[in-house]
Amino acid sequence: MQEYLTYSVYGSAILLMLIGLYAALVKKNLIKIVIGLSILDAGVHLLFVAVGYLNNATAPIFSEAVIGKNVVMADPVPQALVLTAIVIGFGVTAVALALVVRLYRKHNTTNIDEIKNLKW
Amino acid sequence: MVISNPIYFIALPLIAAFLLPLIGKVYKPLIRIFPGLVFAFMAYISFDLFLNLQAGEAKIIQIAGWEQPWGINLVYGHFSGFITLIITTLAFLVWVYSYKFKKVGFDNSQKFFILLMLMVAGSIGVVLTGDIFNLFVFIEITAISSYGLTAFYKGRDGAEAAFKFLLIGALSSTFLLLGILILYTQTGTLNMAELAVKIKTIEPATQALVLILFFVGFGIEAEMFPLNGWVPDAYSQAPAPVAAAFAGMLAKSGIYGLVRIIYTIFDLNGIFGLLLIMGLLTMVIAETAALKQKNIRRMLAYSSMGQMGLIMIAFSLNTKSGIYAALFLMFNHAVIKTMLFFSAGFLTYTTKNKKISDLDGFGKIMPFTALMFGLGAFAIVGFPPFSGFWSKISVLVATADKGFYLVLATILITSIVEIVYYFKIIGRLYFKKAHKEVEVHKPSWNAQIAMLILAVIIITIGIYPDLITGYITNAADALFDKAAYIKHVLPNLTLN
Repeated sequence: MQEYLTYSVYGSAILLMLIGLYAALVKKNLIKIVIGLSILDAGVHLLFVAVGYLNNATAPIFSEAVIGKNVVMADPVPQALVLTAIVIGFGVTAVALALVVRLYRKHNTTNIDEIKNLKW
Repeated sequence: MVISNPIYFIALPLIAAFLLPLIGKVYKPLIRIFPGLVFAFMAYISFDLFLNLQAGEAKIIQIAGWEQPWGINLVYGHFSGFITLIITTLAFLVWVYSYKFKKVGFDNSQKFFILLMLMVAGSIGVVLTGDIFNLFVFIEITAISSYGLTAFYKGRDGAEAAFKFLLIGALSSTFLLLGILILYTQTGTLNMAELAVKIKTIEPATQALVLILFFVGFGIEAEMFPLNGWVPDAYSQAPAPVAAAFAGMLAKSGIYGLVRIIYTIFDLNGIFGLLLIMGLLTMVIAETAALKQKNIRRMLAYSSMGQMGLIMIAFSLNTKSGIYAALFLMFNHAVIKTMLFFSAGFLTYTTKNKKISDLDGFGKIMPFTALMFGLGAFAIVGFPPFSGFWSKISVLVATADKGFYLVLATILITSIVEIVYYFKIIGRLYFKKAHKEVEVHKPSWNAQIAMLILAVIIITIGIYPDLITGYITNAADALFDKAAYIKHVLPNLTLN
């Protein structure tokens, strides 16, 4: 049972990534593309956290309660990495949305097919 | 000196970038002056550190007192020091060029300098870091600030170019993150030296997967072939100094990341063949595309991609002379492309479409700028008394040494293509009659100084290449010697 649960987490992370990739590459609306990028990011983040997860493990906090006891802890490194990655993803999304606003003001559309002053 | 510490390369521009608005509140003109002080200091310490670096030594800085391999470390060796030197010097020159940038107000130059300083911090961070996740963070800092710089002008199609760049950039950095995740799950470490030791335990198939993810992640900044669709648009829509900074810093840090992981971390058959094929594709396609460009900035962008392809070919030879040639090319590409973008920026200042045909007869109208462009063009195609000659000849020699005669022939043919399209411009500059009613924008004194410094570098290195060949040889040795890198970073580990 526990195994299926682990696999389902990995599976949903990969599913999220595929959904995000699909939206970013296929959709014509600029906003939807940005949303796709966010979903793709979320998939990778979920994969990160899933990798650091251990069964029956405690939070990786070094305290009085765990000293000298044989306690299994989750891997803290992926969690630290995913926090950084979330912040970076937030920054990218913010810049992307700002660019979408600029594009909308200039071209009066968010359809990517109608914005082609430069050769795509 | 005590003050010379590699950590300043990253910390100083980051702090300065976010302090700039506050400093502007105190005294407006400081917005322009302060970044220059920061860049000058960085250039000074990079010279100081690089010249005092002992042969075969590397400076290791551990951040926040965490011991390696757990903490983040900065590795200032001969290779990374050399690239840092190029980046800091160029950053200073870009500041000199854009000191009077768009006189319309301090608001614009404040935004510009904040983004520029962030980009410099990011690209130096990529070069110095010894931690693979930290590498990703710096790549993203560089990328986000360059999206902003691409979209800098509101009048042009900057936002469109920037969105295209962002779309490719965000996708490829996600792949990079995925590659780092796979490496971490397989080895349990993020330190590059420890990864290099433990990489042997990973199956070749997994290694190949990670390698491809990394190629995608770094290839975008290194302007590698399928990922360089953003390059011509970004270079033509961004301000001229930004285009120069992209060629000199962004592309340099991208290729550094690629080469560092290929040479130091991975241990895989066929890895250099892949790089060779990508380099050849990049070079041939970019140089052919450059031939039919009508816009001078787009042409320079394609030429820049072609040069990056040549650098990849030189790196893919996997010999010391190949790395030597590649490093010399990187130096020349940084200096000469910057010169070309600087001068082209003023040559086409008043024309709206930046067409090559608008340049007729500018040799008489703007003698200094046209001369500088001509000098850059002669240098980049590799004519003798200029620095480009030495790098081109060392690439050819390195390729011949390896016995890749077909590659040698391809390089020669694309060099001829390069000569054709650069000389087309020179012909227009000097041997055509000027259009009537041309508007002329005289280059400002600071831009002239920046171009003059670059010209002096190009000619001096062209006549006395011995000035830098020793340093380049050291840098090539440092990159080639994987065991020494691991030994410097982790003295207690043995490579077996």
